[in-house]
Amino acid sequence: MLAKKSGGRILADNISDVDTIIGMQNVGIRYGQGAEVLSDINLTLRRGSFHFLTGKSGAGKTSLLSMMYLSQKASRGIVKIFGRNIAFADRDCLALLRRRIGVVFQDFRLLDHMTAFDNVALPLRVCGMEEREVRKRVTELLQWVELSKKINDRASTLSGGEKQRVAIARAVINRPEILLADEPTGNVDSDIANKLMKLFVELNKLGTTVVIATHSERLITDFPFPRLHLQNKGLKIYRPVVLDGTERRL
Amino acid sequence: MTKNVVTARKQEVPLQDDNSSVFLQIMVCISVFLFGVTLAGVLSINAMLNAWNESILGSLTVQIMPIVEDNKDAAQAEVLRQQSKAVEFLNQYEGVEKAEPLTDKQLNYLIQPWLGDGVDVSDLPVPRLIDVKIRKDAEIDFMQLAEKLAEVSPLASIDDHKLWLDKLINFADSLRLLALVVLLLVVVVTSGAIFYCTQTSLGLHRYVIEILHLMGAKDTYVAQQYAHKTAFLGFVGGIYGLVLIIPTIYVVSGLAKQIEGGIVSETSLSMLDWGIIFSLPFFSSLMAMITAYYTVKHTLVKFM
Repeated sequence: MLAKKSGGRILADNISDVDTIIGMQNVGIRYGQGAEVLSDINLTLRRGSFHFLTGKSGAGKTSLLSMMYLSQKASRGIVKIFGRNIAFADRDCLALLRRRIGVVFQDFRLLDHMTAFDNVALPLRVCGMEEREVRKRVTELLQWVELSKKINDRASTLSGGEKQRVAIARAVINRPEILLADEPTGNVDSDIANKLMKLFVELNKLGTTVVIATHSERLITDFPFPRLHLQNKGLKIYRPVVLDGTERRL
Repeated sequence: MTKNVVTARKQEVPLQDDNSSVFLQIMVCISVFLFGVTLAGVLSINAMLNAWNESILGSLTVQIMPIVEDNKDAAQAEVLRQQSKAVEFLNQYEGVEKAEPLTDKQLNYLIQPWLGDGVDVSDLPVPRLIDVKIRKDAEIDFMQLAEKLAEVSPLASIDDHKLWLDKLINFADSLRLLALVVLLLVVVVTSGAIFYCTQTSLGLHRYVIEILHLMGAKDTYVAQQYAHKTAFLGFVGGIYGLVLIIPTIYVVSGLAKQIEGGIVSETSLSMLDWGIIFSLPFFSSLMAMITAYYTVKHTLVKFM
């Protein structure tokens, strides 16, 4: 029951720290002329941290994640990724920042006309990696996610679970500094879900910052990491307290 | 397993499935055809102008006007005497390489198209002609030459061909300008077609391109894929166009040679001209590639 409360402002003051991977200060997002879907978000994600991102459907989880993977710009406020203020980054700079981010999308976003191999190879190829090295890395990773037999199958022919694993392999192939996953275990059985979560934990131990958007209470219970909870357009941060299985707002 | 993986790398943007590819090839084919035929016209006009200019610079004609009087033999003798004096004077004149009077046979040949066969020139008041070849780079003051020649041979007058050829050259120049405008229009229209085809394709493949961006691809990465594909389409379209150009040039050239009078006898294309025409598929490929590349770079700014 010992949770330390800390204001969002204190967190936001640290957005320029060297160890800060993602920093947001008074950030708001609106689509077109509509009302803000997220307001006054203050957030600091430090290198090597692991967070769940929770909230009801429509709370803005995907919007917040898309801002983190640089698909969405903030309508107001300051967003810094790897210390760069995104508002002043040009297109080439954004591309270079995205190479340091791994993303698992809820709808997978695979290229259906390409094979599992080519989909996983994508982040390496856009970086200009040598094809021999690409083959080595992709083959190993597809073996690890138990898709060796599907390596030359088109993405459109894979099952939901297989697509999920291809999407995860693609997200981690480039050894990203931060991994953002939107419901990564939503389409796989509990065994594979556990295995994937263990992969994320392993990556986190190697220094990768991880943010996982999920609805799964089981995941949150089984893996006691801090939780970013979206509610009423704002963000609350909860730290788990393992002793009695409850958690407290940070 | 590695054996299975070694497959040819595919381009991520599936441009081979675009319907616009066929349109683009047809468009380039037509453009290259129009461009090639017009270019052949420009090159022929250039060759013709050069030939005419050389003939103007390299020669002139001196006329010895006939004397009309009852005693034809005396008049004829006087004309021939003045012709000899003029030839002698011209052969000694600085800058003149050679002056040679036309024989009766040559004069007959010249007036044959108007008067028919079997006409005796000596019976007619036809001027005698002297063909004068001028040395290369010789700077002759034609006014001064005419004055001095008139002193030696009062019946002589100079025709340096300039007047009528100038009119012809002006006309040819206008044709050439018109052809150049057509060439420019073909380039602009083709570039425009490539621009809109590329934009349409970008819209069709927006989903794929956004995924590429999310994976960290720069705009250049996408632009290169479009540039490669469009260069290929431009080349294939150019080859089709070239296949149509060659017989067209031969047909038009054959028709031009049937025109009597020798005005268009110098219109045949040189090896260099053919080289330029055969390089058109490379040119169309390059133009398509550059247009597609910059269209993609320009359009992707509006993307994520």
